[in-house]
Amino acid sequence: MVDPMTLSNTRSARGTSRWLGLLTCVAVIVVLPLIFRDAYWRGIITICAINILLAIGLDFIFGFAGQLSLGHSAFAGIGAYTSTVLVTALGANFWVALVCGVVCAGLAGVLLSAFAVRLKGHYLAIASLGFAVITYQILVNWISVTQGPLGIYGIPPPPSISIPGLQTINFSNHQAFFYLVSAFALLTYVLLRNLTRSPIGDALTAVREDEISAASLGIKGTKWKMMAFGIGCAIAGLAGCFYASFIGTLVPDAFFITESFMILAMVVIGGRGNLWGAVLGAVLLTVVPELLRGIGDFRLVAYGLALTLVALFLPGGLSGVLIQSARRFNGSVTRAKSETHA
Amino acid sequence: MLDLLPILAQQIINGLVLGSIYVLATLGLTLIFGVLGQINFAHADFMTLGAFAAYFVARASGGNYLIAIVAALLVGALLGLVVNQAVFSLLRGQDETRPLVATIGVSVLLENAALAFLGPVPYTFDSPYSSQVIRAAGMYFTMQSVLVMFIAVLAVGSLYAFLKLTFVGKALRALSQDQEAAGLMGINKKALIALTFVVGSAFAGLAGAMLGPILVLTPFAGATVIVKCFAIVIIGGFGNVEGTIVAGLMIGLIESFTTQMLSPGMSDIVVFGILLLTLAVRPTGLIAERREENV
Repeated sequence: MVDPMTLSNTRSARGTSRWLGLLTCVAVIVVLPLIFRDAYWRGIITICAINILLAIGLDFIFGFAGQLSLGHSAFAGIGAYTSTVLVTALGANFWVALVCGVVCAGLAGVLLSAFAVRLKGHYLAIASLGFAVITYQILVNWISVTQGPLGIYGIPPPPSISIPGLQTINFSNHQAFFYLVSAFALLTYVLLRNLTRSPIGDALTAVREDEISAASLGIKGTKWKMMAFGIGCAIAGLAGCFYASFIGTLVPDAFFITESFMILAMVVIGGRGNLWGAVLGAVLLTVVPELLRGIGDFRLVAYGLALTLVALFLPGGLSGVLIQSARRFNGSVTRAKSETHA
Repeated sequence: MLDLLPILAQQIINGLVLGSIYVLATLGLTLIFGVLGQINFAHADFMTLGAFAAYFVARASGGNYLIAIVAALLVGALLGLVVNQAVFSLLRGQDETRPLVATIGVSVLLENAALAFLGPVPYTFDSPYSSQVIRAAGMYFTMQSVLVMFIAVLAVGSLYAFLKLTFVGKALRALSQDQEAAGLMGINKKALIALTFVVGSAFAGLAGAMLGPILVLTPFAGATVIVKCFAIVIIGGFGNVEGTIVAGLMIGLIESFTTQMLSPGMSDIVVFGILLLTLAVRPTGLIAERREENV
């Protein structure tokens, strides 16, 4: 029998630790640009936050719903181009354009999933890859809208926000932009985590593990997979919008299929199916290559090698290793405690 | 109307030549999928490295393209053996995404290693046969395209002969139908799977040698072709050799005509449009494979 007191204790303890975790995240976000003062590193931490958005979006599709999508970069591209064209060609407000970009990417995800929900494994992987190739070719060839391979230049940052009584927040400042993207990344993370811990997360896991058994319990696989694709791709679209206005230029090559492989590598190396693993992978694969600039092209060789080795030997990724060692540590602590009691 | 006919015929020839290279490039994928149910993403890089091997051997041997083709074949076979031993044999019986992701890693590794050693500047790989033009019935053939067709027919023919006429080929077909039962009949699964990889990857190397003079030869050459190969695999029906041949030639023709009538960039959109349509309407491909699990 579980003592109800202990149960409520652990529950409140979990609540406290959750708030502590959130506070730590906020603290880290606030402190980071204060540590990295030069524009170069502030740029990298901002890209890192954008990559975190991409990685947790893919982890939601791949890790939780179990759908291997190799076309994630295409949805970032759809979000980026939609919002940018709205801003630069039609003069729309950034935030309106952002919402449009996110919605378009999400709808494109649902569109792909309409094909893909009937498919599994290899078929889905290749269908999504094909979708990414089509998207890329459209971006290259639809010159009247996307300017093709020449790209769109001079994309403005989001408009400044002035709050009465406070300093005007100007997003051409790297620090302000970093706070903006990180705030969205943190918000998305918290929302996704709550979603995956809700009954919806259980439904997704059930579909991932055994679709037929899930169907026998009244959980309709198609519906949930479509939802996962819609949400995951909308998040990629959000990342794409921020990417475009942060970099200031937009070329189709930024959304080529190799970028999808990069995002997949983040999720796999970090460990899929627990969100923070994807965050870990995104941070590692953004920051480590910068540290390895000295070895030139070999850093990409190293990333290929890391992806292969993790897929071969660490099915849970790095987060899986951390969870296991934490369990082992906890186990030894409890054992030590019970031994002292005895 | 009379002027149109030779153009049409010329496009058909061009399409068939391109298509037969696609068939060569895709057969390896099909073979490996048919036996193992696995996809090798590094197949693209086997093509690239095959093309580079052909380039360097041709240069070293004073422009002997035929020796270069043999070298590409051997490089492909060797890479296939290594990837099978290093990746697939370790993940036998695992869920299908892990080997897929692992080979994406191998592909990134090979591609960037090639980039580090060979650089991003395109190599000019001229086949001595490209400049020999034959004119017949108002159409132009280069000796190169005749050679490509000949090698494709030879390769496909010998694959068929191997699968249908030899004992090992029979064992391989047994393995693709039921791995466990084949194992119980005393078939050496490990050796046969390695053989499948060697043969399939040798095809990739061969295709690389054929593609070298057509493509812009960079470390990313294979990657531009492989997505089309995947499309061909699906359109033809996963793991189905006949389907791959039909779909490969079809995609070659479609590409040749869209390039002529629309623009080169449109060909990818048309090909992948057909892919998505196939998946939506007939996910088993032109010729259905004999398994139900995947769709």
